[in-house]
Amino acid sequence: MSALVALALAASQLTLWHAYRAAEEEALQQSIALFEAANPGVRVESLALPYDAFASKLSAALPTDHGPDVFIFAHERIGGWARESKIAPLDAELAELGPQFIPTSLEALKFEGHSYGLPLALKSVALYYNKKLIPKPPATTDELVALAKAHTGRDAAGLPTYGLAYQLKDSYYQALWLHGFGGSVFEEPGHRLRIATPQAERALAFVRDLALRDKVIPEEPSSTLVSALFRAGQAAMAINGPWFAGELSGVLYGVATLPIVSATGLPAKPFLSVEAAFVSARSSHPAAARALARFLASRESAVLRAVLGRQVVATRAAYDDPRVGGDALLRTFRRQAEQAVPTDNTPAMQAFWEPSNRALAAVVGGGVAPADALAQAERRMIALTRPVPERRSAWPYWIALGLIGAAALVFGARKRTKSLATGPAASRAARRLGLARAYAYVAPAGAGILVLVLVPFVLGVGLSFFHHSEGHYTFVGLHNFIEILGSSDYRLTEPMSFWFTLAVTLLWTVSNVALHVGIGLGLALLLRDPLLKLKGVYRVLLIVPWAVPNYITALMWKGMFHRQFGAISHLLKAFGLEPISWFTHFSTAFAANLVTNTWLGFPFMMVVALGALQSIPADLYEAAEVDGASKWNQFRHITLPLLKPALLPAVILGSVWTFNMFNIIYLVSGGEPGGATDILVSEAYRWAFQRNEAYGFAAAYSVLIFVFLLGYSALTRKVSQTEPA
Amino acid sequence: MAEVTLKGVHKAFGDNAIVRGVDLEIASGELMVLVGPSGCGKTTLLRLIAGLEQADAGDISIAGVRVNEVSPRDRDVGMVFQSYALYPHMTVRENLAFGLVLRKTPRAELDARVAEAAALLELSPLLERKPKELSGGQRQRVAMGRAIVRRPRVFLFDEPLSNLDAALRVQMRGELQRLHQRLRSTMIYVTHDQVEAMTLATRLAVFNQGILQQVGAPLHLYENPANRFVAGFLGSPAMSFLPGRVQGQVVAGKGFSFALPAGAQVAAQDVLVGLRPQALRIAAEGALRGEVEAIERLGSEGYVYVRTEAGPVTARFEGAADLHVGALVAIAADAASLQLFAAADGTAIALRPPPAVRAAG
Amino acid sequence: MRSLRTPLLHAALVVLCLLTLYPVLWVVGMALSPSQGLVSGLWPLPAHPTLANFTTLLSATDSAGRLLFLRQLGNSLLVSGLTTIVGLSLSVTAAYAMSRWSFPGRKLGLTGLLATQMFPATMMSIPLYAILDKLHLLNTAAGLVLVYATTAIPFCVWMLKGYFDTIPKELEEAALLDGATPGQIFRRVVLPLARPALAVTALFSFMTAWNEFILAATFLDDAARFTLPVALQRLVGEYRTDWGTFAAGALLVSAPVMAVFFALQKNLVGGLTAGGVKG
Repeated sequence: MSALVALALAASQLTLWHAYRAAEEEALQQSIALFEAANPGVRVESLALPYDAFASKLSAALPTDHGPDVFIFAHERIGGWARESKIAPLDAELAELGPQFIPTSLEALKFEGHSYGLPLALKSVALYYNKKLIPKPPATTDELVALAKAHTGRDAAGLPTYGLAYQLKDSYYQALWLHGFGGSVFEEPGHRLRIATPQAERALAFVRDLALRDKVIPEEPSSTLVSALFRAGQAAMAINGPWFAGELSGVLYGVATLPIVSATGLPAKPFLSVEAAFVSARSSHPAAARALARFLASRESAVLRAVLGRQVVATRAAYDDPRVGGDALLRTFRRQAEQAVPTDNTPAMQAFWEPSNRALAAVVGGGVAPADALAQAERRMIALTRPVPERRSAWPYWIALGLIGAAALVFGARKRTKSLATGPAASRAARRLGLARAYAYVAPAGAGILVLVLVPFVLGVGLSFFHHSEGHYTFVGLHNFIEILGSSDYRLTEPMSFWFTLAVTLLWTVSNVALHVGIGLGLALLLRDPLLKLKGVYRVLLIVPWAVPNYITALMWKGMFHRQFGAISHLLKAFGLEPISWFTHFSTAFAANLVTNTWLGFPFMMVVALGALQSIPADLYEAAEVDGASKWNQFRHITLPLLKPALLPAVILGSVWTFNMFNIIYLVSGGEPGGATDILVSEAYRWAFQRNEAYGFAAAYSVLIFVFLLGYSALTRKVSQTEPA
Repeated sequence: MAEVTLKGVHKAFGDNAIVRGVDLEIASGELMVLVGPSGCGKTTLLRLIAGLEQADAGDISIAGVRVNEVSPRDRDVGMVFQSYALYPHMTVRENLAFGLVLRKTPRAELDARVAEAAALLELSPLLERKPKELSGGQRQRVAMGRAIVRRPRVFLFDEPLSNLDAALRVQMRGELQRLHQRLRSTMIYVTHDQVEAMTLATRLAVFNQGILQQVGAPLHLYENPANRFVAGFLGSPAMSFLPGRVQGQVVAGKGFSFALPAGAQVAAQDVLVGLRPQALRIAAEGALRGEVEAIERLGSEGYVYVRTEAGPVTARFEGAADLHVGALVAIAADAASLQLFAAADGTAIALRPPPAVRAAG
Repeated sequence: MRSLRTPLLHAALVVLCLLTLYPVLWVVGMALSPSQGLVSGLWPLPAHPTLANFTTLLSATDSAGRLLFLRQLGNSLLVSGLTTIVGLSLSVTAAYAMSRWSFPGRKLGLTGLLATQMFPATMMSIPLYAILDKLHLLNTAAGLVLVYATTAIPFCVWMLKGYFDTIPKELEEAALLDGATPGQIFRRVVLPLARPALAVTALFSFMTAWNEFILAATFLDDAARFTLPVALQRLVGEYRTDWGTFAAGALLVSAPVMAVFFALQKNLVGGLTAGGVKG
């Protein structure tokens, strides 16, 4: 048998995809090297992908021939991939090897009667505590709260301290309280996603009290902040995963399993994520691929991964090795993993996160009552899990398309014959020659645009007539548009409604362009004086923001708006004001976006205005001065009208750019609070990449954006043309 | 050198007819000036000859060959643009040589011709400069040099002096005349300045609203304008026109009456009486009376603007005449210099049988 | 009055410049700071500046021991450079034709060019992914260049057309009479005159490609094939944020582009807006 396998494996070249970095990647590489040594004919090419893009890339690549043979991923997406037969069931392997793994991990890998993937590592969170501050970890939440309160205040240096730090606005963490209060994400029986339950309400209220009443948890705790506070001894306890340990060199800390919720007597159970080796259903070397997956899940690789990569491995036998079993961190996380709830692996789970996170943010950030927040999240979730609409016949659309095309052809042909028919015969020949030349000149760019722009554009528009779900496209006609414009699932004033988002987008565009033009023009007027010294220096300094890449600008300002450590907060404190939680209210979150984008955008308008100002002859002002016009009148009646021809196109261009300014919205406010600051493009992006890959819906959003902007530019063109010159 | 012939040339931009049925023959070696107010179609006509515009109808021939379909670069014409259109990225030398380089002229000949043109136009010290380092007059000369260097069959000038100041303009006018005498080429020159037109032209072609009004030697046109427009356009200050009526041997209007020259035979009709300022003088007694509205003293002579009962009249005076605004004066006219135009269409009315046609050019 | 105005003007401008530069100083501060966290304090520059963050960034290697930053820098240069060359070379003749000659389809073309600015670019990514997949160009520099060309070509045509519109027509007429063919006019008169415009257009195309990360993150898999923005984006990652390394990278990424940007700053907006005036 083994000889046979070796023979079969002799000619294979395998591709392995993963998202590991640093030590975990190193451990994986060494495992692969061992595997290659044991199977001389097999070459394994491993590819580390960016974590954020991994899932969407896998979904796209698995059905093609360029996908991996084996990949390592968390178990959450098994349902979707299994239904589309993207991954191969490993029932035989699991039947044989099952007992070797920690039981909760096996549960996670089952879907509709089959098992997929061999479990490698378990990821859950547990309680870290600073041993200098807390000698014995709390066993119950009552103890936890008491300890946390005792360690909240100020330290010797006057810096704030907190009893507990964790990313409390992330549902991933909230789930541990939900389970501790006896709740669950899915309703049994029927396996229906439920967000608004009494248990969820109690869990939310518990966290709200910790954050808002007792103030033992810092607000807006990002992963960086949690790490910084815990390392500095400003947080006595933290809830975090095994990866956190890597950041704690030099800190005397302990790890414990999460406490028992005093109110229910149930343990707080975190979500469990099982990283497993999956075999692609399209692998051209299935035997070798399975062998690789088996090897990765074996004791040999598990020990390597545990010792070197400090993974909480799923292979029980690995803990017999003293280097693994003797590691307190791994031991604790293994125990926690046994007492954790695997996240659901059906596609429905994808609809849980966004609404649930928003409810959490609304309660701990905005002070909304838990019941109301949960009810709204439930509605949002139902909207996200849109049923597949009825398939429509494409014929009426083909006919309409044909008619439009024919009309365009007839119209174009008529115009063409008209333009060629004028003039005497001889000059017509010259004209033909000229036309041939013109088309020859246009051809390279024309061909490029045709292939690279028009084709994707047409495909994109076409997509808006389809419903996409788990790799299947259903033609639904105008259904997407009707749902978006009809705003059928939500009230018009809710952030999920197209009309609400449109209103926000318009507000965003108008206020930005007004500020860009106002500031840009103001600065240009200040810099106009030809006798001003250092003019060039000012000019160069003031256009710096234009030269900074805008994603860097966004991340930079995001940091500056940080509640605790941002420069803006320091500034407010310097003036004796309270720092603001910028992203919990619409007005402040919107303002943060606006400030960022204004910083980014005013230099362009300034340079445009400066150029235009220089072209206004000075004697016009002298004439006005002689006529006795005031400065203001000079500005109104000379400067503004003469600037218009240069400013108008810049304003049109600027408003189109702002309308589609994805990076700022996405990276600064991220749509907070509750998606209220999302604009149409970021909403379209979310539909495509964060909400069940609703490509069709997202495409329909894009088409609407496009149509809207097209109408806008046509209108401005008309306005600027009909006005007397 | 070549003659240029236009037959029934017509050009419209959209619904706007710019050149309307122009027939014109320009002899070889002639300096033909196209003159008229702005928008009269003279520049468009020049561009039609150059080939920069396509005629809608009619024939354009150079040296007897129809060139309507010939590309501008094959027409062998040189043009000096109003804006000079010097290539900003090339030195004066490169500007001059560009046309020769394109025609693959041998290096030695190219250098010789550039040097020759530069010497002719006194550009030799400036050859290595860029256009932006030159004065207006120097740029103008480079623009001319660029045309000269190629020795084209026809030179076209589109208001080449209009961007220069007055003194420089007079100087350049002289240089242009000398150039023409030296090169003896066919030149077509567009201007709206009638002084420039009168002084430069071998023959003048006066345009108005796209229609050729009259062609001929400058003095002939001045003395025998074909219509009221030509009469009014040529001469400075402009001719005065008074409405009146011919009755027998007398033409009379409000407050004036002139005897027609002896032998004049004009049918009784309504006319405009054309009076050149140079044919009028202030006198104790005169055919016209009126109040002085303005006085223009030029030193040795001057012009006085008088409001008469029949209309405004301009008269010349010599020396420092004792005149002041508001004074009542009498104006005497030299009856022989009267010109009459039909009131209906402005065409000139001959006062005596037409003289023998002068040989043109 | 006059004597008071100038100092006031300077004071106002200095304050405005400081406001503008503060965020940049903040990044400089983080890059030079010995810790990985955010700056804590109003004054952004650290008391004990160190180049440790730069060293960390430059010496990072992947599992095969390859220096990542240098490779990624090379990738970025290659992709941005090729995008610029493709964009400019394909579009320069078309821009000229659009500016100078009238032909059926010109108006439609110009409207279309403007329209490409309006389709949200993130959405082109779904169809583009499928196309690149079919062409086996995913995860390659060539594929990314093609993707960037979709925005670069229309943009270059639009920019250059705007500049060509400002070149006086007489120059070309003079050249025509001098005996130049349309091709010669284009090569020997128009192109040399448009040199600053070409430089600025090249800069903008280069900057766009150099700074882009969403599409690059979607179309590239392998850390050794990343462009710099993707690499930087990963530093501000899911589980931990290396602000210091990020800031150091941000400075290194921005610096060269900013240098060219400032060298060309006098010519920045001509074509961008001139194109719209004449239409």
